Parts: sequence; structure tokens; C-alpha cells
Amino acid sequence: MRKGFAAVLLAIAGSALVAVVVNADLTKGSYRPTDLGSLQQAAPPELSTDSIYHVPAYPVPALELAPGEGRQEVQIYCNTCHSPRYITMQPPLPAATWEAEVNKMNKTFGAAIPDDETHKIIRYLQAHYTPENRKQ
Amino acid sequence: MNLTRGFLARRSFLKMFGAAGGGLAVSPWLNASLASAQELPTVKPIEGFTGPGANPHWNSVGPYIAEPQKAPLILMTDRPVQLETPRGYFRTAFTPNEAFYVRWHLEGIPNGIDLREWKLQVEGNVSKVFALSLPELMQKFKAVSIAAANQCSGNSRSRLQPRVAGAQWGNGAMGNAMWTGVRLRELLDEAGVKSNSVQVQFQGLETGMGPAGLGSSRFLKSLDLNNPVLDECVVAYLMNGEPLPMLNGFPVRLIVPGYFATYWMKCLTWIRVLDAPDENFWMKTGYRVPDTPRGNTTPEDVKADTVKTVPIGRMPVRSFLISPDGSSKIPLGMGITLRGIAFSGFGRVTRVEVWDDEDKNWLDAKLDDEHGAYSFRTWEAPWTARSPARHVLAVRATDEKGNVQSDEPVWNPGGYLWNRIERQEIVVGSAV
Repeated sequence: MRKGFAAVLLAIAGSALVAVVVNADLTKGSYRPTDLGSLQQAAPPELSTDSIYHVPAYPVPALELAPGEGRQEVQIYCNTCHSPRYITMQPPLPAATWEAEVNKMNKTFGAAIPDDETHKIIRYLQAHYTPENRKQ
Repeated sequence: MNLTRGFLARRSFLKMFGAAGGGLAVSPWLNASLASAQELPTVKPIEGFTGPGANPHWNSVGPYIAEPQKAPLILMTDRPVQLETPRGYFRTAFTPNEAFYVRWHLEGIPNGIDLREWKLQVEGNVSKVFALSLPELMQKFKAVSIAAANQCSGNSRSRLQPRVAGAQWGNGAMGNAMWTGVRLRELLDEAGVKSNSVQVQFQGLETGMGPAGLGSSRFLKSLDLNNPVLDECVVAYLMNGEPLPMLNGFPVRLIVPGYFATYWMKCLTWIRVLDAPDENFWMKTGYRVPDTPRGNTTPEDVKADTVKTVPIGRMPVRSFLISPDGSSKIPLGMGITLRGIAFSGFGRVTRVEVWDDEDKNWLDAKLDDEHGAYSFRTWEAPWTARSPARHVLAVRATDEKGNVQSDEPVWNPGGYLWNRIERQEIVVGSAV
């Protein structure tokens, strides 16, 4: 097929036209829907001329934590000071590290999560976010 | 007419065209394109997290997000806000304000400030306590400008092995700007620091939900009064000639040239002279590094509690290859230009060298103009591969104190001070 194509072109070139043989394995016109989505542009802000300098609320995109026992406690207690993205942003951490992190929130940062809920939160993080079991 | 029908109609037209025009030179590659178009995948999302191995990417792996006054940046966390600057913004020595990374500690960060009410307070162990409105600060004191790089203490934390908890930054928790404001020293002199003072503490408008007195309630940082860096500090109200974005510390931010960003207090509102060392969490517990070469230690020594720590200080020398970034294949024989940046908290970058796996020699890159001892400095170097292969390039910098980047990794429990030599795989393809 290709040889035939080249021969046709050579014939045309031979008949005084200067033809460029593009025999490349060209790919064109491939479009598909994307998993990446798109990010909408923000509208220009409405600014006043008074002494108040402000910006809109900082955006918090939806985030799905791994389903399981203890997720609700995480959403209630951890979410007081920080969004759950502080959990999913971490690499998979060993069980002992998760325990130390939750204890740090109580002891160093004064989170005052009740004992039962503290244990539930630790067990939840250890069940879903360690190198052995993290999926998302 | 719906889209599917339109698409089919176009295909039919092309098929007919191909069939009818069998003798035309265009037809074979039109047919070829239709065949392969069906097989091409779309761009896949990056993995949602990295680990337990090191993050292999230049940046962190979060999604893009559009925050107020910002270009789309890489989301680390949303509340409080932490954003990483994508690699491409480091092609220039000065990082655009809208692309400058963001790192807050506590969820109570300002959305708005009334400049009629806001005042910078200079207080504590001084002869004269005073407060300045922004116009007073701008008019009563001489304006100075300094180009200085700002880098998060935990920049590149995702490189550490074993991984440590904390914001899993790639390399983009850094930026360089021209900062304009007034000298901290002039403000301290105006207040009259009493002779028994030991430190000066900085407090911004960041507050948290935690109980008073704990690190979760206030973010506070202090510098020793005998630290020479105080003479270089600037209380900046301009960043690259513009007001600071809210997320970067509007209306004023402390600039501590050469030092990690933890001291560069955003929304600086209290400058407080202390007569005793600051023992708040962010000095006594947070942001401390092992008192060892390069801040290195081991998990075993940490467990044994034998590691003496000191507050983090100056930034070790670093350099980065910014382009090419590995996203494009380079045809063999094409001489390309490697470009990047280098900086050091210990002073001027005096040398940048590049290495490849064919030569295995460190070759000098050309340093571009300097913007100041603590600024990013751009560099470039020509590069041509000799064989089609997956090549590895490396870059290292030397500063005026003779500090050279090492190829040994860094590990400490805070994930600070990473400055190992950076590598980049570049794929060179055959071109014949």
C-alpha cells in the first residue's frame, strides 16, 4: 500500500510538481471525553472603594473518606480544626504513626476528643490509611 | 442533529472521500488517522497519593484548585489552605504573586481586613510602645526592596524515606519575590529595645480553634535579638510591586532573607520584644531540626530520644531543573537548553553544574544575572544527547560559603531541610 502511494507521488514529482513525501505515521483528530474534568475560571471580584479589603470564602471541594466504622467520628472531631484532606493528603502511614498523630491532636493541641471516639478514630485510620490497606 | 450523528456523518464523508479519491495523495493518511484515533487513550489523572515509597514527581499530586487572587495551583489542603506552585512557574527568577505557594497552620485565616482598624503594633520590652496604620508605615519610614526566596521548611517532604507525616510537598513550596517595605530594625529602634531583652516575637492574624496557650490557638515565631539577620529583615507591604495576596499575608509580611518561611510571619500585626526566650509550641516543639550536619538523624535515634534539636534556621543550597520537565520526548541530535533556578540561604549561588548519564561529568551551567544574595538565580546550559535512551540529568549548586549539594538523602522526623541533588529523566528518541 505504502509503496504504491510513494510511487504515485514520485510519478507526480516526476511530472514537474515539487511534491513533499510525508510518509510519517501520522495520527490526527483523536478526541475523547476526559477523566480530568475542567476547572472553571473565577469571575472577576466585585471590589468596593472603602477601607475593607476582602476575598471570597476559601473553597473546600467535596472529599470522600473511605467508608467504614469510625468515619463519622473523623468527620465530626477532626473536622473541627482541619478538613479531612489532612488525612488523604498523607502518604500511607504505619498504624503506630496514626495512633501518635491522633494522640498529638488531643495532648499537644488540646482537641479533647472523648476516649471512645479517640479509639474509634485511631482504628478507622489504621483500617484504611496504612501501607497495608490504603486504597484511595 | 445530535453530536453522534454529526460524527458519523463526518466519518462517512471521509470514507467516501477516501474511496472516491483513491488516486489522490491525501487519502492513505486520512484512513490511517481514523484507524488510530479510535485507539488513543486520553490523559489519565495522576495517582491520588504517593507512598510508602518516595513521591517520584517534581510536584505533589493533588488536584488543581482556584483560590481567591490565585492562578490554579496544586491543592495540598483546603482548610486551612496549603497550595503548591506548579513547576513551570519557576522558569523565571521571580515567582508571580498569583502562583506563589501558600501555607497556613491554623484554620482562622483572614478573608478580609479593614485597614481603618488594622495597625501594626510594636510592643513588649521596649521604651515606647506604638502602633502604625498602613499609611503611617509607608510614609514615616524609608522604603527598601530586597529580592528573597521564601521556602517552606517542609518543601520536598514527600521525598523522605521513610515518609513522615506532614504536608506532602513536592518541590513547589517555594517562591521568590521582590519585597518592598521598611526595615524591622528601624521599627525596633523607634520603640527602643530594653537592654535585658532576648528575643523578638512575631504574631500575625492566624488563629485556631485550640485552647489558649497551645499551638492550636496562635501561630507565633521568634528570633534572637543578637541574630544578625534582624538587620536584613523587612516588614513588606509590596510583593513584586503589588499588594500581597490575602493568602500570602496581606497587608504586611515579615521578610527574613535566607531563612525558612516559618519566620516570615504573614498578616504581621504584633512585633513583641521579649525579656525571656519564647517557649510557645511553634518554637519549643515545632519547626525544630536535629543539631547535626544537614539536620540528619534516623528513626532509631528519634525513638531512643537521643536527638538534640535546635530551631530551624537558614535554607541549605538547592538547585532545580525546570525545563525540560520530562513531558516531551527529545529527538536525537536536537541541541536543547536546560533551564532552572538555584538559591541558598547562606548567600550567593556561585556555581551550578549539570550532569548526564552519558558524560558522567559535572559541567558548569551559565548563571544568569544576580538579583541579590538570597534571591533565586536562573541558569541555563546547552545539552545534546548522543544516543536515544532514557537519560538521567542531575543538577547541583554551590554557594559563596562553599556549600555544595550532596547526593545523600536527608531524614528527620519533621521532614525538613531536604536539599539532595535533583534528578530528571529525559527520554531521547531516535530521529531517523
